[in-house]
Amino acid sequence: MSYIDWIVLIVTLALIVVYGLIKSRTSKNLDGYFLSNREMPWYIVLFSIMGTQASAITFLSAPGQAYTDGMRFVQYYFGLPLAMIVLCVTFVPIFHKKKLYTAYEFLEKRFDLKTRTLTSFLFLLQRGLSTGISIYAPAIILSSLLGWNIYWTNIVMGGVLIIYTVTGGARSVAYTQQLQLAIIFASMFIAGYLVVKYLPEGIGLFDALKVGGAMGKTNVVTTGFKGDGGFDWKDRYNLLSGIIGGFFLALSYFGTDQSQVGRYLTAKSIRESRVGLLMNGLVKVPMQFLILLLGVLVFAFYQFNSAPLFFNKTQVDKVMHSEHAGTLNEIQETYEKADEEKKNLVRSFAANGNFSLSETEKQQLTNINRQRDSLRTSFKKLVEQPGIQGDSNDANYIFLRFVMDYLPRGLVGLLIAVIFIASWGSIAAALNSLSSSTIVDIHKKFINRNMSDKDDYRLSRIYTFIWGVFCIIVAQFAYNIGNSLIEAVNILGSLFYGVILGVFLLAFYFRFVKGNAVFWSAILGEILVVGFFLLNENQIINLSFLWLNAIGALAVVGFAVLIQLLFARKLS
Amino acid sequence: MQEQNDKPPVFKTWGAWYWLVLAFLVLQIVLFIYFTKYFS
Repeated sequence: MSYIDWIVLIVTLALIVVYGLIKSRTSKNLDGYFLSNREMPWYIVLFSIMGTQASAITFLSAPGQAYTDGMRFVQYYFGLPLAMIVLCVTFVPIFHKKKLYTAYEFLEKRFDLKTRTLTSFLFLLQRGLSTGISIYAPAIILSSLLGWNIYWTNIVMGGVLIIYTVTGGARSVAYTQQLQLAIIFASMFIAGYLVVKYLPEGIGLFDALKVGGAMGKTNVVTTGFKGDGGFDWKDRYNLLSGIIGGFFLALSYFGTDQSQVGRYLTAKSIRESRVGLLMNGLVKVPMQFLILLLGVLVFAFYQFNSAPLFFNKTQVDKVMHSEHAGTLNEIQETYEKADEEKKNLVRSFAANGNFSLSETEKQQLTNINRQRDSLRTSFKKLVEQPGIQGDSNDANYIFLRFVMDYLPRGLVGLLIAVIFIASWGSIAAALNSLSSSTIVDIHKKFINRNMSDKDDYRLSRIYTFIWGVFCIIVAQFAYNIGNSLIEAVNILGSLFYGVILGVFLLAFYFRFVKGNAVFWSAILGEILVVGFFLLNENQIINLSFLWLNAIGALAVVGFAVLIQLLFARKLS
Repeated sequence: MQEQNDKPPVFKTWGAWYWLVLAFLVLQIVLFIYFTKYFS
């Protein structure tokens, strides 16, 4: 990185920290620290919800996902607007009227202490671990691309935000998320504009999309049905899994994960919470669509220009310094020829001024891209060889590699800053929620019930700091998890979310079901979800992790109703 | 006081907001299907 990039990066990050500290003035009690005195307007709630959900991986992974697999990932969000409606009808009014600090408090009021403690424990376990992985995932990408030390990258990624999160609590988190999103969207918009600008003369956005479309990258809606008419349960992103699986995931995440519930509990009224959530339902899908569109534009750009064999240079260097260097050279040579052929073919289409490619032309381009893909696969196998055992998935490196290689000085620094501040937004909300659940659901229940406002405030800040340190420690050990870090975060969430959602659905919609039935059904449901996960891992069944949310929620509801009906007398 | 705070902006009822969100989702899916077919 150039000096200008370093200056832009440091100034942007410093701006966020200073802004967070300026906005940190709040009353020194739980209401002030965790809920900003319940005074936030809907648009701050909206930015806070969006900033919490959108991590660095959203902006790194989604363009790469579109580049490799097309735009169908957007279907993952189709269930979200439906979940926002259910939240506004049921969850929000109850949470507000009961003046809760955490979602799990409601479960004690409705069921009993053990159900509340179980769900808050599952939340702390899941959120604590996944936040650690969320620090490591972008840190390892930046560390690989820029040659930074992973230890210090983890500390900056997960540590600097602790300054304003500990000082200002939910208020600082919400206001910095607003500024962070403004910087992120402006930078992504400039990057998108430049990708189109860098296309050969006479080639515009529309032509770029036609090139992407000819290669199957504009596949926004897919049905998930196989050639034989059967539904592919293993297929992650299609209309059905997006609407049903995505609905359960979004309902669990926004309705039962304190990192999100804590955001809309800061609203000054039910009305402000509802408008914030509904606006999120309106803007989330178009936002994801545009981020994925950026990936298709980068794909089109690399059709007109030379694309690297593998986007993660560190892995290429590893293979180059191994016994497989000879094989790599052979692959590289054949790849460069195929890549040149592809470039010439696409440019000849451009010279004709017609991107409505005939079937023959499409077939020609498909064949060359298949050859390139097959060579990439051969290289990935080398990366996985014993002695190298590197990361064979370079999807997360595609966008940043483009940024590093082609974007002007200054903008590179700004986009690196985007990765940091996107991470900070979600991590800050996670730390705030981990601290609120620890103090409200655990400390004040089991350790000290009679604390003054001053003690509450002091301890809340200490717990925020402790969780921050814990998540950085998890990040320092995350390399043991393996290559697929983003998948690890998603799967970790899916293992717990469905069960927690089931407990909340019982609380809201099944008045006759009591605490004991819910508690035991939650344990049975968790065993069932883990069972399905293990069966899938051992390839006994084929099931995408997205379905685990629906299975968990429905199993808990089913078990609890059954247990309540069968053992009603014993349970009472 | 709480009821006063809960009045929806723009529309008379929250139901109208929910229908708006739902209709916008359906519209997006229809446009995405068209987008997929047009550029494929």
